[in-house]
Amino acid sequence: MSRATAATLGRGAAFTAVVGGFPFVVHAAWIVNIGVLTLMYAALATAWNLFSGYTGYITLGQAAFFGLGAYTLGIAFEHFGIGSGYNPFYALPLVGIGVAFASLPVAWIALRTRHMTFAIVTLTVLFVVQQLAFNLHSVTHGTTGLMLPTPSFAIGNYDRPFYLAMLAVLLLGLGICWVVLRSKLGLMLLAIREDEEKARGLGIRVTSAKLIAWWLSIALTAMVGGIWAYYLTFIYPESAVDPLVMIGAVLMTFLGGRGTLWGPTIGAMVLVPAQQYTLLQLGASQLYLVGYAAVFMVVLLLLPRGILPSLRSGLARLRERRRTKRPPVIREERAHA
Amino acid sequence: MHQVVQAVILGLLIGGVYALMASGLTLVFGIMKVINVAQGALVILAAYLSYALFSHLHVDPFLSILIVTPAMFVLGVTVQLVFVRSLRGPDAPELSLLVTWALALGIEGVLSVIFNTTYRVSNPSYADRSWDLFGYQVSVVRAFAFLASAILLGLLSLLLTRSRFGRAVRATVQNPTAATLLGVDANRVQTLSFGLGVSLAAAAGAVYGVIYPFNPGSHYDLISRLLSIVVLGGLGSLGGAVVAALAMGVIQAVVAVEFSPTWSAFSFFVVLLTFLLLRPQGIFGVRERTL
Amino acid sequence: MTRNPARIAVLAAGGVLLLSALAAGGAAATHARAASGPIKIGISLSLSGDFSDPGKAAQRGYKLWAKVANAKGGVLGRKVQLIIRDDTSSPTQAATNYQTLITRDKVDLVFGPFSTLLSAPSAAVASRYGYAFIEPAGGGPAIFDEKLHNVFFTQPAPVVQSADVFAKFLLSLPASQRPKSASYPALDDPFASPIADRVRSLLEKAHVKTTYKTIYPSEGTDMGPVIQKVASGHPDAVIAGTQSVDAYALVKAMVQQKFNPKFVFLSNGANNPAEFPSKVGAKNVNGIFSTGDWFPQAKNPGNPAFVAAYQKTYGAGAIDPGSAEAYAAGQVVEAVAAKIHSIDNKKIISTLHTGSWPTVEGVLRWNSVGEPQGSDLLVEWINGKMYPVYPPKIALHKPVVPKPAWGK
Repeated sequence: MSRATAATLGRGAAFTAVVGGFPFVVHAAWIVNIGVLTLMYAALATAWNLFSGYTGYITLGQAAFFGLGAYTLGIAFEHFGIGSGYNPFYALPLVGIGVAFASLPVAWIALRTRHMTFAIVTLTVLFVVQQLAFNLHSVTHGTTGLMLPTPSFAIGNYDRPFYLAMLAVLLLGLGICWVVLRSKLGLMLLAIREDEEKARGLGIRVTSAKLIAWWLSIALTAMVGGIWAYYLTFIYPESAVDPLVMIGAVLMTFLGGRGTLWGPTIGAMVLVPAQQYTLLQLGASQLYLVGYAAVFMVVLLLLPRGILPSLRSGLARLRERRRTKRPPVIREERAHA
Repeated sequence: MHQVVQAVILGLLIGGVYALMASGLTLVFGIMKVINVAQGALVILAAYLSYALFSHLHVDPFLSILIVTPAMFVLGVTVQLVFVRSLRGPDAPELSLLVTWALALGIEGVLSVIFNTTYRVSNPSYADRSWDLFGYQVSVVRAFAFLASAILLGLLSLLLTRSRFGRAVRATVQNPTAATLLGVDANRVQTLSFGLGVSLAAAAGAVYGVIYPFNPGSHYDLISRLLSIVVLGGLGSLGGAVVAALAMGVIQAVVAVEFSPTWSAFSFFVVLLTFLLLRPQGIFGVRERTL
Repeated sequence: MTRNPARIAVLAAGGVLLLSALAAGGAAATHARAASGPIKIGISLSLSGDFSDPGKAAQRGYKLWAKVANAKGGVLGRKVQLIIRDDTSSPTQAATNYQTLITRDKVDLVFGPFSTLLSAPSAAVASRYGYAFIEPAGGGPAIFDEKLHNVFFTQPAPVVQSADVFAKFLLSLPASQRPKSASYPALDDPFASPIADRVRSLLEKAHVKTTYKTIYPSEGTDMGPVIQKVASGHPDAVIAGTQSVDAYALVKAMVQQKFNPKFVFLSNGANNPAEFPSKVGAKNVNGIFSTGDWFPQAKNPGNPAFVAAYQKTYGAGAIDPGSAEAYAAGQVVEAVAAKIHSIDNKKIISTLHTGSWPTVEGVLRWNSVGEPQGSDLLVEWINGKMYPVYPPKIALHKPVVPKPAWGK
């Protein structure tokens, strides 16, 4: 095993231990609740990054598949009776796989267009799915909302199973990203991001690569949506297909560093607790949306590459300066993936 | 049959207003490859300005176009200078998507604080009147809105084809490098065009507020329709945006009458996706050549 | 050894999270519930986002009640302290807020947020911790379908049944005056279309023919085609499930198309005495029916005092029923605390399931899942003013049928 692999696995193990052990050490329900939200956004951001960060195609339709995952689980409860307690968690992979396959035809149409059109088409898909959630009353109950049965978890640690479920999806997402990055698929995706026409000219199966990345991203997103629906026990079109949730995940990815492995997770771990803290302190104010937009703007304009890449190049520069006591020689900076 | 024709008339009238809003969006994309997701929010902002002028100073909404449009032009230029221009690099178009989305959220937030979320609509005296044309009802307000849109689009077309600025704009759209080499100040053209795109939205917003009730959250519904229109028409094509807008208006109105109003917006999206399947570049768009 | 920034960042983030959690947890320990000191009532309200208008109205109602109650010495001799958090109109945030209020701020009681959509998940959270959920604004089917026993909706009737009073009125008319056919346009909204549906099923049972029914979306809809189709069936009555803005648009479309049925009922919008005439034209209001849970002139327990206190605190001007509904929630707590001399949630829940409780919304009674067992009021616009006209016990004017022509 190479040193880099060992290092990453070590980091992953440490992360799992710390974050996984958290709800067993901290028992205050409201803190675990915030933990659930943090991990939810981390998983969403990682899933979004898996497609948009690696291929360079910005998708604005993620909320649609989050909602589809939520509704699929809810409908499975109502029409197929998948039971209660922990069963829904075991049904999640099926939900993820199902939604991912269902999304392929739409993705195929969208990927025939160029980057900007693709972004808009995915946004259109978001509104289409929201409309379907409104209109298909017999299946989704439309605006009245869909109820999921309340699980009978012990009241003392009620939020813990949801926390661990979100963590599981996040770890799965991080694992997939890591494996993809080191694989041939990863090389193909990065080639596509750099110059799609050249990649196509080199014989790379561009459409297949993009579709695989898309499929993985959607499967993860749908699973997160399912857990969320079970957590709230009540969903309706505007809350299940909410552009603001998606924009939050995108913002966190940008903050942490698009195209990196840990960036989205770091972004989520910074922003979600900060946002909850602000709401706690502000208590009762109308300026939430304005503040949110301002933070968004600041991150995009001042820190466009995100924390992680900026940290990396900052530290690299520090290292260079420390190492050379002689007058600086102009060296080429190697770009990091 | 009567109902369908009535719906087509209604659809064309409202399609004209959407064409005006979409023209600004597609123009800005053609020149600087920026999708201004805040276009919907800017329309709503203009609607609020016009509403405020109407309720406090009794300025007729159509007359308020003369006040609101220049004001929003200035706003558009400022926005471009402060937010959009600083975006550089190959990521710029996609970053601009997110920056303008943040702008839209900010506008929504500010409007919510100032006007709160009650739905508003400007109610001039002629708001309920309609003409009888060969047995079909034509609402006075919508007819005027269509007329105003047609006039403004005509003026835009003249500006683009007959003026020096218009030539500079078209040169920048066709080939930015060559245009710069020929002495066109690309930065100035981009800034002024962005302002122009926003002022078109403003004019449309002033009349939108008389037809449809709106609140700060209405921009989502608007921008989703506008984006579909410009994609269907072909990003960057003005003619395409007009045709697509009229098509959207008609499709929606007919579906509302023949099937159900809840499916009318959905049907337009379906038409869009189907069209893209056959022709990814839209009606008048250009297939992407190698860069 | 080279330090990888990614590892630093990840562990640092985890550490920060852990530390802040422990620090906050430590702080929370000092908020333990006391048997004396102020009574803390936790509320999540929509102060930003889509529901911010009604959310702010509820805030005014809650705060006014706390002020009035504290002026009288508080509840059980203890001052009332409201802890209000913004949920930005998001159900996820509302549920999180109640978690925080209950487990961090250790509030004694909770009141409900705005809208069934936010109340449903919030009630589940409250139920988990055994808290009573007295809520003024979640009256849709979703919250009662949860079959929770801690829910108490402080309005006279569940929202879905709010138009039942109109059906009862129609059926009380002599046969020659009753409508023979009706059309049901409704807004795609959990509080509009179910209302229209319910009236339709009540009237269909009484052999009133349904000529047309439809549901229209809330944004960007032209009412012209909708009214066209409604009018083409020549119904005697138009019974619409609406909110405000589409109600105004429906009326204007009917005026434009010169369509004047014998009965026009709008479930919302036409019950707003301040806005309705200005939005549809003061001459167009006469003969239109609507329904509501609260009116300033209603002779309900504590209502005149409430109206006076409201106007003293917030100035003259229209009072949003949301403020009255919130105020009623406070009155319920006052009444039950006075009865059982305790604010223990379990005792409150079992006590409120029996007996009747006087509030500005009327005298309220609930069944086991929180549905109130009363009925709303029917109002009609007569000579430019809005009057309750049915049931006869509380009517301030005789109802006028059929509807006069537009502009009269």
